[in-house]
Amino acid sequence: MTAVILDGIVLGLGFGLLGVGLTLVYGLGGVLNLAYGEIAVFGAIVVSQVMNRGASTLLAVAVGMLAAAGLSVLLDLTLMRPVYRQTGEQRTLLGLLLTLGVAFVIVGLLNWKYPTGALYIFVSGDPISIAGVPMSAGSIWASLIALGAAGLLLLFFGLTTFGRGVRSVIQDETGARLVGISPSLVRTSIFALSGGLAGLVAVTRSMTAPLTITQGFTLTTFALIVAVVGGLGSVAGAFLAGIVLGIVSNVSAHYIGEYITEIVLLGAAALTILVRPRGLLGR
Amino acid sequence: MLLEVRGLAAGYLGEKVVADIDFELSAGEAVAIVGSNGAGKSTLLKAIAGLLSPMEGQVLLDGRDLTRRAAHRIARAGVAYVPAERHLFPAMTVKTNLTLGAYPHRPDREVLDLVFDLFPRLRERLHQRAATLSGGEQQMLAVGRALMSRPRVLMLDEPTTGLAPKLAKAAFEALEGLNETGLTLLVAEQQVPLALSVADRGYVLENGRFRLEGTPDELEANPEVRRAYLGVA
Repeated sequence: MTAVILDGIVLGLGFGLLGVGLTLVYGLGGVLNLAYGEIAVFGAIVVSQVMNRGASTLLAVAVGMLAAAGLSVLLDLTLMRPVYRQTGEQRTLLGLLLTLGVAFVIVGLLNWKYPTGALYIFVSGDPISIAGVPMSAGSIWASLIALGAAGLLLLFFGLTTFGRGVRSVIQDETGARLVGISPSLVRTSIFALSGGLAGLVAVTRSMTAPLTITQGFTLTTFALIVAVVGGLGSVAGAFLAGIVLGIVSNVSAHYIGEYITEIVLLGAAALTILVRPRGLLGR
Repeated sequence: MLLEVRGLAAGYLGEKVVADIDFELSAGEAVAIVGSNGAGKSTLLKAIAGLLSPMEGQVLLDGRDLTRRAAHRIARAGVAYVPAERHLFPAMTVKTNLTLGAYPHRPDREVLDLVFDLFPRLRERLHQRAATLSGGEQQMLAVGRALMSRPRVLMLDEPTTGLAPKLAKAAFEALEGLNETGLTLLVAEQQVPLALSVADRGYVLENGRFRLEGTPDELEANPEVRRAYLGVA
């Protein structure tokens, strides 16, 4: 049982890291980036390509994250401009359609160029025993990176002037403009951050199992579930929801069967919308 | 002139709500724009603040053209706007709301003290979330947040919205106090007697155009104003 829960926490930290990039962009103006998982996969392929050329893993990861951030910024500066000129439902719908289109384009390009593309980062080291359960070095590192990212994000949003500025746009965009904050600058920065996080999550996932180019859609779905359960726009909520969902999904996989996990996760999201629409920590 | 508005027209979906608006504010003045609901007061202030892009005309601050600049640039240039809807950051504390008022700078201790002197309630509620404040306290916070940027001009839209008569009067007393410290004020208000009580000059807005202008005494003596806004037959 301890092993099942610990593995669930490892999975959940990954979920949290996955959800946070999506939830931030959504919080800043109601756009659900359906290309999010594909941006992560794109980052992963860049990492593997750079590694294949003989670069160190660390350098390759940095380049991959920057590439994913760059792609995300490009999306914001081009296709998202008309989206943010709309308001309300039109903005939401146009955002969904355009990002879905971008997702198809990225999948198509990756399938064409790198049909067998995959990223697997092997983390050497003996398993480490935690509460009597041996954990692989890969899961330990992936979890530490997710925890570190969570800590840095919480510090950034809680303590820095720009981080508070970002939260102010999430809470009241007009109010933010009135105190001299540019929502479009904030959005571009958060698109960059979100893309970088997508790249990072692709890297941490590839530390425990190979990440292939077919996984983009699954990543987007999981990110969406985590964001909904955590509360759209909430960083702490995303990580909390990630851990809860990771444990729930691992426990159900262990006691019922692997096939049930996606249903359980989607069920959790649906239940959240019914019982607590603002999510665990949303407003 | 501190603020000049020349031939301004603004509205929604191609329809002008206000047009031919000309007026100016010199430093230290308090000017009231009065008119009934739907006369276009909010549209006019939003166009000056940049929340709405003017269709015609110009807005100048110290001779610098601010027309069609983004709202956050106009705010940073020194025109602070407190809308009737307040637009506070609901899940943040009073303190963080005030801190953000000074964005991108650190809040100035002196200005913070001024805000607390003006609204001691805000000091008591410092760590409370803005959403949990009463209507009057939210209005104080909205004005306080606007002051944190050390604005050249403070524009307020219906500062008495949702306030009981006693609180409305207190709000205007606070504004009068601010004006006495040298702050330039532009207030749009439906409650004409209250607005005229603090103003040096007033403009009457009807159907999107200025109908009358004058000192409070002149306006209060005007038969049309007396009939339409002061409830005197």
